[in-house]
Amino acid sequence: MTCDDARESLSALLDEALTPDERRAVESHLEGCPECRRELEGLRETVALLHRVSPAHAPAGFVDRVVAAAQPTPWYRRVFFPLWAKLPVEATAVVMVALLAVYTFQRTPALQQAARYEAPAPSGRAETPAPLGDVRKEQEATPALRGAPPLALGARSAERGRDATVARESKRPTESAPAAAPPPVASPSPAVRAPAPPSVPAPATPAPPPAQSGEAPATARGDAPPMAKTEAPAAKSAAPAENVAGPARPETDARRQALDRAGGASRVAPTVPGVAAKRAPPSADVVARVAVKDRDAAERELASLIARVDGRQTQRRREDDATVVEALIPQSRYAEFSRALADIGPWRVEAERPDLPSQVHVILRLE
Amino acid sequence: MREAEAGDAPRFLDRLRAGEASAFEELVTTYQHRVFGVALRMLGNAAEAQDVAQEAFLRAHRALGEFRGDAKLSTWLYAITSRLCLNRLASGERRLVRQGEETLLRLADDRRRPDAALERSELESALARAIAELPEERRIVVVLRDIEGLAYEEIAQALDLELGTVRSRLHRARADLKDKLERFLP
Repeated sequence: MTCDDARESLSALLDEALTPDERRAVESHLEGCPECRRELEGLRETVALLHRVSPAHAPAGFVDRVVAAAQPTPWYRRVFFPLWAKLPVEATAVVMVALLAVYTFQRTPALQQAARYEAPAPSGRAETPAPLGDVRKEQEATPALRGAPPLALGARSAERGRDATVARESKRPTESAPAAAPPPVASPSPAVRAPAPPSVPAPATPAPPPAQSGEAPATARGDAPPMAKTEAPAAKSAAPAENVAGPARPETDARRQALDRAGGASRVAPTVPGVAAKRAPPSADVVARVAVKDRDAAERELASLIARVDGRQTQRRREDDATVVEALIPQSRYAEFSRALADIGPWRVEAERPDLPSQVHVILRLE
Repeated sequence: MREAEAGDAPRFLDRLRAGEASAFEELVTTYQHRVFGVALRMLGNAAEAQDVAQEAFLRAHRALGEFRGDAKLSTWLYAITSRLCLNRLASGERRLVRQGEETLLRLADDRRRPDAALERSELESALARAIAELPEERRIVVVLRDIEGLAYEEIAQALDLELGTVRSRLHRARADLKDKLERFLP
């Protein structure tokens, strides 16, 4: 064995990784070769030095980081968190919402109409009769929805006329509201009891109760819906107050004051379009809700009751969850009527004029 | 004794293969320093070594289901780590961090107070430098053998080398180191 051959095996000799034959051959060479023995010693010392190398230590928190990184990514992170997925999805969503908004606006004249009302200067509104005509046309064209328009009509009339009339009204000490409102839209109500406006273009049908207009599918109509659609819910609660649009008198009752305020607002025409719609007068003297178990039976009983007190049912409309009946009851029989009404079901007055006229216009909501 | 310390206890391997999180955590806890040590000695940069060590465990985690147990678990981990290190050393990006390899030298100094073992610290610095200067294919062999203590067969398995190649590379590495560390030899 040459020195080169032997030195190739010296490392393995140190590690006892030689076969017995190899080992014997190397050891035999080493006995006669001091150079190779020195080489072997040098390697042994070197390996000893290497064994003194301090063991490395992974940084603190390494295990936690690795374990956390090994956790499977939740599906929602895979879907929503990667930028490559998130950006396109969000961008698409934004674009679609924008398109939907434009489409909806274009397809819904009601919205456009609403926007149009907001746009012009207040002073111009009273001089713009066109929308009113549209409203009427729509009302006629949509018998099924006839109940709702008057509210919008009244609201809008008041709105349009408000700026023109505010000044006038504010100077009047009396509450001759309807007369003060600008014709022909000052009073959309047929059941006006106070000084009746000479040029009331009131519809033949009585104004519906507020709830009615609120629930009418406003989007089915052309111009009319904007008000009804956007403001009807508010009208539902505020409208009863409009019933007291009659003569003013000192009121201490809080509700009456509220009603008066609302009534006054409608008489002098509101300063805010939205408020105008909300306070559109349903022109009833009494608005009440009757809780009934059987609507059909209750309708029949009510019809019979109205006939019994010499009243006249002017309108009846069935809605999903209620039937709205409007009737004119002679004031002399109203007490009897209200007593008998309790037999049909527990009822609750939502609004009532303090001074009932000779023909009490009653709106009952059977639900 | 932890199961992972026991090496390749069948039950522990079963838990690992079943994807049991606690078993994997135990595996990382047990082998973190060894895997990190190999990466550090090979790459000479602590941050890079940490990346590689983490990647090694993550790859192991993904491949645990395929681990048949032909080799020891530790050998398998060393194999993954070694391959990652050698690949990184061979890649172009590696050149950018070469300048950071001095970290390797600082590593030795960080661990002990200079006044307590100045001589030893100096030796370790010299050792680290000498190891870092070895050609990569020799460096990995000497690291696995003389620092991590693997048997020749395990090294051959981990690096997918012939036994004779391991012996030869190890001998040349030690001979290089002997020359470089001559002043520390008696």
